[in-house]
Amino acid sequence: MVSNSNINNVKTKTIGEIFSKDPKIICRNVDVFYGEKQAIKDVSIDIASREIISFIGPSGCGKSTFLRCLNRMNDTIDTCKVKGSISLDKEDIYDEKIDVVTLRAKIGMVFQKPNPFPKSIYENVAYGPKIHGLSSSKEELDFIVENSLKDSGLWEEVKDRLQSPGTGLSGGQQQRLCIARAIAVSPEIILMDEPCSALDPIATAKIEELINQLGKNYSIVIVTHSMQQAARISQRTAYFHLGELIEVGETKKIFTMPKDKQTEAYISGRIG
Amino acid sequence: MGNEHILSSFDDDLNKLNKDLLKLAKLATEQFVSSIDNFSTQNIEEIDKLILRDKNLDDLDEKIQQLGFEIIALRSPQAEDLRRVISALKISTVLERIGDYSRNISNRTKALCELSSDDIPGVNIGKMGLVTQEMLEDVIIAYKDKDSDLSIKVRDTDVVIDKMNTKLYQEVLASMSRNKKNIVSGTHILFIAKSIERVGDYVTDIAEQNYFLINGKPLSEERPKADKTSLYGID
Repeated sequence: MVSNSNINNVKTKTIGEIFSKDPKIICRNVDVFYGEKQAIKDVSIDIASREIISFIGPSGCGKSTFLRCLNRMNDTIDTCKVKGSISLDKEDIYDEKIDVVTLRAKIGMVFQKPNPFPKSIYENVAYGPKIHGLSSSKEELDFIVENSLKDSGLWEEVKDRLQSPGTGLSGGQQQRLCIARAIAVSPEIILMDEPCSALDPIATAKIEELINQLGKNYSIVIVTHSMQQAARISQRTAYFHLGELIEVGETKKIFTMPKDKQTEAYISGRIG
Repeated sequence: MGNEHILSSFDDDLNKLNKDLLKLAKLATEQFVSSIDNFSTQNIEEIDKLILRDKNLDDLDEKIQQLGFEIIALRSPQAEDLRRVISALKISTVLERIGDYSRNISNRTKALCELSSDDIPGVNIGKMGLVTQEMLEDVIIAYKDKDSDLSIKVRDTDVVIDKMNTKLYQEVLASMSRNKKNIVSGTHILFIAKSIERVGDYVTDIAEQNYFLINGKPLSEERPKADKTSLYGID
């Protein structure tokens, strides 16, 4: 358990408001190393309940590395070492007692490239609830699948072909299937790593609209290279550079009047 | 931070916008200064030339508006770049209006040229014009140099113009009361003075826009005002 004391006494070089009134995730002084190389340097930030926050920054700045720390996806990399503290609802997610599989159900993830299982549309969504024991009957499982597909905006397009392979859908539909798969296990937070970078503008708009809708019930952390996407969908934006969290603040402030020169240089397309 | 964009054509567009805006500022200043000079010299030939030149300002404003819209649509400017484009569009409109007021002053000066000088109230339009001209020149320097303090100073100088206008208004009304032959010329002069006072207001708009461009927040303090002409006759 992370104690309440000192949570807001953290020393940070980050400009802007790293704290939230209603934090779901609290990260304090997080360092990440790949072997000898330090990829994340002393990052502290809160992720609030039901907020959409974007992580932006040039390639290699550490935004995806930091995102993967939030549900311990970096555990899969042998050389990766995480220091500092990250808590979900005040519980240290790096505590040895934490069941990582359960943690990743609570903190779901959607990747850059849609990666449906080589199974039917139905099975793609039903797989998570089955292995986590979230349904006790076929009817209950059907209900979860239908609701998840409805919440991901895909139901009307696939309801007549639930047994068709998930891989047969278009790129945008596959990504929405992956989102349905993530929300089928009732997560509290959804992490998205460039979820629209492989999609056309129409599919992108559908995913963005979906993110806006999902933001009413979940906390969403999205890594994006599209500044306009960050501006369109997130309430807060965090700018990373060379492993450091440079600035975080309300999206409309970051894109109109950033406080830091590096942030301004990046968002306005200047050489930083 | 490097001041250039990675995409150099973005810099080319912004530089072009800035260059055109400064060109329009120069034209608007020249028109205004000429309109005041012509009031003194009453040179009909120069007045006619000035009236014809107004179209150049209209055309340049239209060009700036078009370029500004293109930059917003194609470049998606952010932060200071966005403020620069929006400010350029607003300032351009104001400069074009200053051109219109210079033309209005000239039209009325032309009318005055037809009247006997004995029937024109003797008032100091030239001094009011000179203070406004200095404000206009200063605000353009403030824009070029990103000078926040000079922008505030210009804005606060507008009160001098307002006071001059109020005093002139009283003088012209008194003159018209004394001699009814002065009513036609006096009315023209009142409109000329009001045009100069409006140019002063437009210059303060530019000063406030400059402040926003430089600081990213509006100059919110109440602007000092002293134009009492609208209250004249009320006890």
